Amino acid sequence: MEAVRISSIRQGMPTPYCPGCEHGILLKLIARALEELGLAERAVMVGSVGCSSLAYEFLDVDYVQAPHGRAPALMTAIKLLEPNLTVFSVQGDGDAGGIGIGELISAANRGVPITVLMYDNMVFGMTGGQMSPTTPMGMTTTTTPRGRGRGAEGPPVDICDVLSSLEGPAYLRRVIIAPKPIKRGENLSYSFKPVMDSYRAILSAFRAQMKGGFSFVEFMGTCNVNWKMTVDDAKVYTHEVVSKVRPPRLCRDRLGVDT
Amino acid sequence: MTEVEGNREKGEGGGLELLRGAEAIGLAALMSGVEAYFGYPITPSSEIMEFMASEQGDPRFPRYRAFVQASSEVEAVNMLMGAGAVGHLAMTATSGPGLSLMAEGISYSVGTELPFLIVDVNRGGPGLGNVEPEQSDYAFVTRSLGHGGSRAIVLAPQGVEEAMEHVNRGFRLAFEYRIPVVILTDAIIVHMRETIRIPAIEEVRPRELEWTARGRIGGARHLLTSMYLEPHEMRSHKEALMNKWRRIETEVRDFECIMCDDADTLLIAYGVAARKARGAVADRRKRGMRLGLFRPVTLNPFPWEELESAAEGREVVVVEMSEGQLYEDVSARLGPLVKSIAVPGGEIVDVEEALA
Ligand SMILES: Cc1ncc(C[n+]2csc(CCOP(=O)(O)OP(=O)(O)O)c2C)c(N)n1
Ligand code: SF4
Ligand SMILES: [Mg+2]
Repeated sequence: MEAVRISSIRQGMPTPYCPGCEHGILLKLIARALEELGLAERAVMVGSVGCSSLAYEFLDVDYVQAPHGRAPALMTAIKLLEPNLTVFSVQGDGDAGGIGIGELISAANRGVPITVLMYDNMVFGMTGGQMSPTTPMGMTTTTTPRGRGRGAEGPPVDICDVLSSLEGPAYLRRVIIAPKPIKRGENLSYSFKPVMDSYRAILSAFRAQMKGGFSFVEFMGTCNVNWKMTVDDAKVYTHEVVSKVRPPRLCRDRLGVDT
Repeated sequence: MTEVEGNREKGEGGGLELLRGAEAIGLAALMSGVEAYFGYPITPSSEIMEFMASEQGDPRFPRYRAFVQASSEVEAVNMLMGAGAVGHLAMTATSGPGLSLMAEGISYSVGTELPFLIVDVNRGGPGLGNVEPEQSDYAFVTRSLGHGGSRAIVLAPQGVEEAMEHVNRGFRLAFEYRIPVVILTDAIIVHMRETIRIPAIEEVRPRELEWTARGRIGGARHLLTSMYLEPHEMRSHKEALMNKWRRIETEVRDFECIMCDDADTLLIAYGVAARKARGAVADRRKRGMRLGLFRPVTLNPFPWEELESAAEGREVVVVEMSEGQLYEDVSARLGPLVKSIAVPGGEIVDVEEALA
């Protein structure tokens, strides 16, 4: 991607995100996609609660803060009443897949043309690294100190699979957003192909909305701080371990928008 | 589409109509220009939702264009938030348990200053309770509807005709002050067929919608949030909300005083209990006894100053269909001599008998 100034990113904001977190990348990709499609001026972002609740600090688009997990409900009403707006949310895995799974399923099933972008770091990041619905088996978190699966927590939920069981959605995709570490001898460099894949998924998701369909993208990202890993190790873990249990996948493309 | 005309029987007086409460409330919303209904069925409120479902596509009300049966009251209230955020008139009707589920969304909406209308059809409680007409949501809706010092405007109609007027007033207030408005009713008002005169209802067309989130086209973006992470920002936001509430207190509070001037004893009651109290006043007056009635029309803000001056030097009896929630407030204000007729459970209070 060439270095362009993305005007829908508010300039000069210090990042509140931890070093090595892909939240910032996701927001930049969203801003760029909105501009490429000419949607930024008529876009409304509905917020979540979690690390993505800080998205409004960076994205220079209209914004409504929703209660934890309820963004799809607000978006449904907004889209029904203002069909010309591009309506999207940036939510976490806890927000969209846990407390808000009901609102997500209901909106997806109705097939309302809105776009849910879910940053899946497999923990509750903002509240300090508790288990989330997508935490993999065996992973230790502050609320699964002996690893998920030793208590009453059950196995992780694959949100893409859950939504795939519904007829309503038009576009469902999972991508890895974490840049891929490549070892060259002692040195580590990164492939940014995952970032480009993520960008294309966002474009496709917005195109699905423009064509009248519900779209959802799950971005597998890191939370090195709460995983208690280094930035590099978290990215290696995502590509080598997480990618096996939660592989990138196009689950639904009813409108032929995927690129 | 329900043929509203066909359901009405013309009353004797001309211009009088026989309307069921649920249908009257829906009709008032449509005449006010309601654009969306989002709800989840719960007895005894469901007839309002069913009426609104049947009215989809009614050519007389072209502004009405969105109806969704939500998966829960949580989803419904968040849909109301969405509608409010883009400046459209939206409403729901619910009852006790549903209102409890809406409390988080109401609090967010008070913080974010989003307008919408909720009709609460009070049922017996706590818990699942029963579906009889109690007045036990009073404390919940008036003291703090939601966490963090959230308060909404609460109107309390005494019958079908006033419920229609309150729907219209509710939408106007919601947009004028950017705040959720609750109309507190019960199964009697909503299920009652009453011959009424359709009140004057002016269509509500919100102006000054510059604040809404409908895109930043050519200007600055709109930020609608209740999140203020810095204490000094939170504090000034709350001060602004409190100043707004003080304005609401002076401008919105409303009451009715019936035969108060020469009364020895003053009944205090709202909603359906006030109708029963009114009957008792008329009856006793016939027998030469000087009974009056103070009826708060707005429960939040409550007309306290007016009540204090009306109650001065008089015996005061609070009449209500709850365990004494209004009595608690009134006696805290007027002192320990205030008496209470409180009938919880869903039985209709018999004021005559209680006074005897
Ligand atoms: C009703 C409610 N319950 C709990 C919380 C506390 N809370 C804030 S963020 C969060 C978890 C967010 O996790 P996730 O959606 O995965 O976002 P992340 O921070 O990981 O990006 C919780 C439980 C809240 N704000 N509201
Ligand atoms: S807590 Fe995790 S998800 Fe949140 S900013 Fe830090 S690294 Fe990113
Ligand atoms: Mg998370």
